Amino acid sequence: MPAADKVKSSWADEVELDYGGLPPSTEVIENGHKYVTEYKFNNDDKKTKVLRTYKITKQVVPKVVARRKNLPKFGDSENDKPGPNSHTTMVSEDVYMQFLSAKDEEKSNENVLDPLKNIAKCRICNGDHWSVNCPYKGTAMDTSKLMENKAPATTTTVDSGSKTGKYVPPFMKDIQKAGGPGGRGRDDTSAIRISNLSESMTEADLEELVKKFGPHNKMYLARDKNTGLCKGFAYVHFKLRKDAAAAIELLNGHGYDHLILNVEWSKPQNN
Amino acid sequence: MKPLMLQGHERSITQIKYNREGDLLFSCSKDLKPNVWWSLNGERLGTYNGHQGAVWSLDVDWSTSKMITGSGDMTTKIWDVEFGKVLASIPAQSSVRTTNFSYSGNQAAYTTDKAMGQNCELFIIDVRTADSSLSHQDPVLRVPILQSKVTSMLWGALDETIITGHENGHISLYDVRNGKQINSVNDHTNSINDMQLNKDGTMFVTASKDTSAKLFDSESLLCLKTYKTERPVNSAAISPILDHIVVGGGQDAMEVTTTSSRAGKFDSRFFHLIYEEEFARLKGHFGPINSLAFHPDGKSYASGGEDGFVRVQVFDNSYFEYMFE
Repeated sequence: MPAADKVKSSWADEVELDYGGLPPSTEVIENGHKYVTEYKFNNDDKKTKVLRTYKITKQVVPKVVARRKNLPKFGDSENDKPGPNSHTTMVSEDVYMQFLSAKDEEKSNENVLDPLKNIAKCRICNGDHWSVNCPYKGTAMDTSKLMENKAPATTTTVDSGSKTGKYVPPFMKDIQKAGGPGGRGRDDTSAIRISNLSESMTEADLEELVKKFGPHNKMYLARDKNTGLCKGFAYVHFKLRKDAAAAIELLNGHGYDHLILNVEWSKPQNN
Repeated sequence: MKPLMLQGHERSITQIKYNREGDLLFSCSKDLKPNVWWSLNGERLGTYNGHQGAVWSLDVDWSTSKMITGSGDMTTKIWDVEFGKVLASIPAQSSVRTTNFSYSGNQAAYTTDKAMGQNCELFIIDVRTADSSLSHQDPVLRVPILQSKVTSMLWGALDETIITGHENGHISLYDVRNGKQINSVNDHTNSINDMQLNKDGTMFVTASKDTSAKLFDSESLLCLKTYKTERPVNSAAISPILDHIVVGGGQDAMEVTTTSSRAGKFDSRFFHLIYEEEFARLKGHFGPINSLAFHPDGKSYASGGEDGFVRVQVFDNSYFEYMFE
C-alpha cells in the first residue's frame, strides 16, 4: 500500500491529473503520526495541497468515555469524516499565560484605564468631553475667566517647581538671574513662541490674545515677505516671567481660529 | 499553549459546559443549534437541531445521557445526548433563561423570563421518564418570582435547595420541597450573570455585571471572598484541583465596537481563591467572554465568547509550577 501511494503522488502523475480534477487524498501512518494529504481548490480556484499531521496517542479512559469515543456523528456533523473537521475545529496560534506580580498589575491598570476614561478632555472647562461640546463654549469662561481661575495655580506651580525642582548647577542659576544665556543682548527668559497660528493672524489679534496675561515689551509676528500673510508663528516678550509661564500654561493646546495653538518658551538661537 | 478553536456557532456563545467525565464539551449560542465536542481534540460530535430561538442555557445530567436546553423560542427541550434527538419539549409562557439538572438527574429546574405580561417563574419537573408525555405534565413545583428576574440558577446541596441569582444582584435560596424562600442576600449591586459550584458543591462563585466575582457559601449564602475587576464579569469558574478561579468578561458587548481589544479586557483572568489576587491572564477572544468552564480534571479549561468561538486551553507546565507568593 505505501508503494502505491508513492506512485500516486509522484510529480508526473500530478501533472497529468491537473487536467482531470483533484488528486485523491492520502493517509500515511508513520511512527506515531498520521499524515493526511488533501487537495482542494482555494478561493481563487487554484489547486492547493493541504498536509495535516496528527499525533496518535493512547489514553486510558473510563469505559463510558471509551464507548462514547465511537459514537456516530449526528446533526450538522453527520457527514464529517472521523477526525476533526477543519471547518469547525482549528488550532489557534500560540498564546502564553502572563503571570503578574502585584506591581505589574497596578501599573497596567493605570496605563490602560486612564486613557480609556479620559480620552476627551475639554480645553475650556477640563471636563471629560471634547471642547466642541463644552457647555461653556463661547462664554466668558472660554477665555478670560479660565485664566483668572487658573492663573494663580500656575504661578504657584512654577514657583514650587523652581524650589523643589531638579538640581541646577550654580553657573546655570547665574544665567537665569542675569537674564539670558551669555552673549545674548536681549532678555529672552520671559519670551514665548506661539506657533500654529492661522494665516489671517494680525498683530492686533495677537495683542488681543496675550494682553490678558500681563504687560509685554515686544511682540513679533512672522510674516511672509511677499504676501504679507502670517507665517504661522510669533514671539511675545513679556515683562514678567510668571506671566509668560501663565500664558504657556493656558494657551498651549488652546483652540484659536480653528487651530490648536502650540506655545512654548522661546529657545535661544544657536549662534 | 496552542488552544483549540471551535467554530460551530454563528452567533455569540451563551453557555458552555463539560460533562461529568469531561470528555464532552457542550456549547450553546444565540444561533439555534447547541453543539457537542470531544474535548480532547476538538472534534465535533454533533449538533442538536430543533430549537427555533436563541438557546440561553444548557445542562448535562450526571450520566451524560440527557441534555436540557432553555431557549428564547419559549420551550425547554430535553435531548438524547448521544444521538441528538429531542426526547421532550416543554412549552413555557416566555423565554427560558436558565436550566439545570439536579445532581441525581431525577429532576430538572428551569426559569422563565419576565416578559410578555408573564411573571418570572421557577419550575421543577420530574425527568425520570423523559419522553413526549412531559410536555403536558404539570411541573412538580412552580414558584412565581415576583422580585427581579432570575438570570442564573443552581441546584444546592443534596438537591434540596435551588439557588437563584437575580437581575438586581440578589441571590436567593429556595426550598425545593415547598418552594419557600429560605434566604436572600444582596452582596452584588448588578445582574448576576453566572454562578458555578465548586467540586463538592459547598461553595459557589458568582459573576456579576457590577464588575466583581464573589465566592459564597452555598448553604448560608455568606459572601466569603470578592474578586474585583474593572469590567463586567460574565462568567467565573472554580478550579477542581487548585485554589484558583478563572474570571471572564469584558466590556459590554454593546460598547465593544468603540473600544480597542486591549482596553476591552477580553482576557481570562486567574485569581487565587483565597488571597483574592489576580496572578495570571490569558488572551484569546476578541470579544467579551460569556461563559467559562474548567475541565473536571483541572488541566484545561474552555471559554466561549461573544465572538462565537469556543476556545479550549490546555494548561502548560508553567501554570502548575507557578507558586503564589
